[in-house]
Amino acid sequence: MTTIALAGNPNSGKTTMFNDITGSSQYVGNWPGVTVEKKEGRLKGNKDIVIQDLPGIYSLSPYSPEEAVARNYLFNERPDLVIDIVDASNIERNLYLTSQLLEADLPMAVALNMIDAAKKRNIKIDANRLGELLGCPVIETSAIKSQGTREAVARAIELASSGDRAKPPVFSDGLERVLREISDLIRDAVGDGNLRWYAIQVFERDAEAAKTLKLSADIAGEIEKRIAAFEAEADDDSESIVTNERYLFVEKLVSETVVFDTNEKLTPSDKIDRIVTNRILALPIFLAVMFLVYFLSISTVGTLLTDWVNDVLFGEWVPGVVKSALVAIGCADWLQRLILDGIVAGVGAVLGFVPQMMVLFLCLAFLEDCGYMARIAFIMDRIFRRFGLSGKSFIPILIGTGCGVPGIMASRTIESDADRRMTVITTTFIPCGAKLPIIALISGALFSNSALIGYSAYVAGIAAIIVSGIVLKKTKLFAGEASPFVMELPAYHLPTVKGVLVHMWDRAKAFIKKAGTIILLATIGVWFLSSFDWHLRMTATEDSILADIGRAIAPVFSPLGWGEWKAAVAAITGLIAKENVVGTFGILYGYEEVAETGVEYWGQLQAAFTKLAGYSLLIFNLLCAPCFAAIGAVRREMMSAKWTWFAIGYQTALAYAASLMIYQFGSLFSGGGFTAGTAVACVLLALLLFLLFKRPYRAKIEARAGDPRRIDAV
Amino acid sequence: MPLTLMRVGDTACVTRVTGKDHVRSRLAELGFTPGSEMKMVAKRGDDVIVSIKESRIALNRDMASRIMI
Repeated sequence: MTTIALAGNPNSGKTTMFNDITGSSQYVGNWPGVTVEKKEGRLKGNKDIVIQDLPGIYSLSPYSPEEAVARNYLFNERPDLVIDIVDASNIERNLYLTSQLLEADLPMAVALNMIDAAKKRNIKIDANRLGELLGCPVIETSAIKSQGTREAVARAIELASSGDRAKPPVFSDGLERVLREISDLIRDAVGDGNLRWYAIQVFERDAEAAKTLKLSADIAGEIEKRIAAFEAEADDDSESIVTNERYLFVEKLVSETVVFDTNEKLTPSDKIDRIVTNRILALPIFLAVMFLVYFLSISTVGTLLTDWVNDVLFGEWVPGVVKSALVAIGCADWLQRLILDGIVAGVGAVLGFVPQMMVLFLCLAFLEDCGYMARIAFIMDRIFRRFGLSGKSFIPILIGTGCGVPGIMASRTIESDADRRMTVITTTFIPCGAKLPIIALISGALFSNSALIGYSAYVAGIAAIIVSGIVLKKTKLFAGEASPFVMELPAYHLPTVKGVLVHMWDRAKAFIKKAGTIILLATIGVWFLSSFDWHLRMTATEDSILADIGRAIAPVFSPLGWGEWKAAVAAITGLIAKENVVGTFGILYGYEEVAETGVEYWGQLQAAFTKLAGYSLLIFNLLCAPCFAAIGAVRREMMSAKWTWFAIGYQTALAYAASLMIYQFGSLFSGGGFTAGTAVACVLLALLLFLLFKRPYRAKIEARAGDPRRIDAV
Repeated sequence: MPLTLMRVGDTACVTRVTGKDHVRSRLAELGFTPGSEMKMVAKRGDDVIVSIKESRIALNRDMASRIMI
């Protein structure tokens, strides 16, 4: 079996190439950092060849988790060969990574990708000459048109069998001399490892390489002396010296092989950027785009589709057909009730919501694919920075309006640990697609469908993010400035219909699968617990096992105004999946089929909840710990159980405090009188204000900021 | 002078990137090395978008003010 790794800069077309040669349909986006994990596939037509799609990286220095993933893979797991994907329209910057990949001591081929885009811009590249200079085959490709990709793979495989290795770049004489000296000093420690690569890493004072080599203090001191001497001579630090030398190498390559069009005018992307990132127009344009997205998915098209699915498909057709089928086969009464009251009601409520979510995913996919998403991060950076977050946190939050799971995963492009953790914790505060039914239920049942409730849910989500940003940034755990913003902006392009649909389906699929698995099971569980008593006899809901459990938990929520057992149970089932909340109410109020807004039991809700209690219930469910799937994503991104529990604890505590304050202050102002609950709310408010305005934690920040290298991924 | 003083449409060469931490290496990897030519594409206050080595890079003020022209 042969393993081929695809490596290259972000947005250079690696995933397009991967899809083309494996025949799979991984999502391809138009913002840097779409591929955050490596993905594996098999070559179309030869299943013995494994293709690894690595995350897009600018270099092999481990500054961000994606880079660490790629670097560890290349140097520890050792693929059989590498195809380096170089964006021909941006060749100089892309060849920088090539200069590092050449040092990996692996057979390598270069795919000069997006060659058509380069030609369109009159960039002429002599691929043969470039291949001679690099000492490895260079093949012109256009992965999007499926041109040259087969040849690139074929050439790479040939190369692997011949055993030819790529040749590392040669630097200036001075640097080469120091590298030779270092090589001699570390030769024994490296053993049969990649001596040249280790020498460069040691010269750059790479912490990870030093750890692997376990150099003695004597040798380390000797090396440090040489590095310091060379730095003094060159009046620069070692890392910059190497970077500059690499660019000199690249410049030499480029000057010999590439001819640029010197009278190139402003590109269309530049013109669009002048307008959409304009000081005055940027925010209005952004708000208009967002309004359009939610107008399409929530107010108009999405709702029309969802109403049809709920009212016609799951309202009339499915229950009718299922019921008559069950009666026809003489199905037992309890099973009939399980299927109709439990499964059809619970799962139907969730599936009914899918069309609306599909439209939302479609819009978000369009924004990501056309290139605007990266600009949003840039525009929002100024605003987010005030709250201790970077503009890069905005992409996860925006994707989180569709679903928290991809949102949390998108946080991986954020370089600083503290910022990334904070983004992971706060992303799910924004109402995701699955929380929309809860909003629809409360606003429909208690607020005569006022659109204000929906808006207020987003405002509450954003407020929770901002408050958390300010408060957490002042604690010891997250102290320090938000990391400075630097992001490559991809060229704008019109997304392909197929691309957007694949992307939308990728995310919608997860919801449908969830409805068929975890939600189905949860519904059966809830139905079972709510239909039987402790002696496993069928009974009224009020006497069921679930009612007893609910009554035991409910007092915890009475300070929030909804210490009623049904609401307590719904909040707990919401942890499994937020879609469950509405369905659970449905089962508990004994309805066969429930629309996603739960319109059937609005009357009962009005009797059981005041407006205030209902709103408090809504806010709690929006802000508290997300569903299991999202908690799983948090766990993966945090890579630590401790941080995962911190996230869940923080979210739930914030949700509890917010709901309590809303309910208690609301009661006070609506003439409820000053009670013990009001006193607690006052204490919480005081605590919140203290945390918001206290002095930030400062000690030891220097030490943290001074630690130049973080290697915590993988 | 720092990059933030360039006007939209101006072109200039990088002379120096200040600072010593990894941010500087990051900028270097993205192409901000002495002698590289860049063009100011758009500005939003002191946040800038510049085009360098055929790619478009967005930088906030903290980053942009460390690049000298």
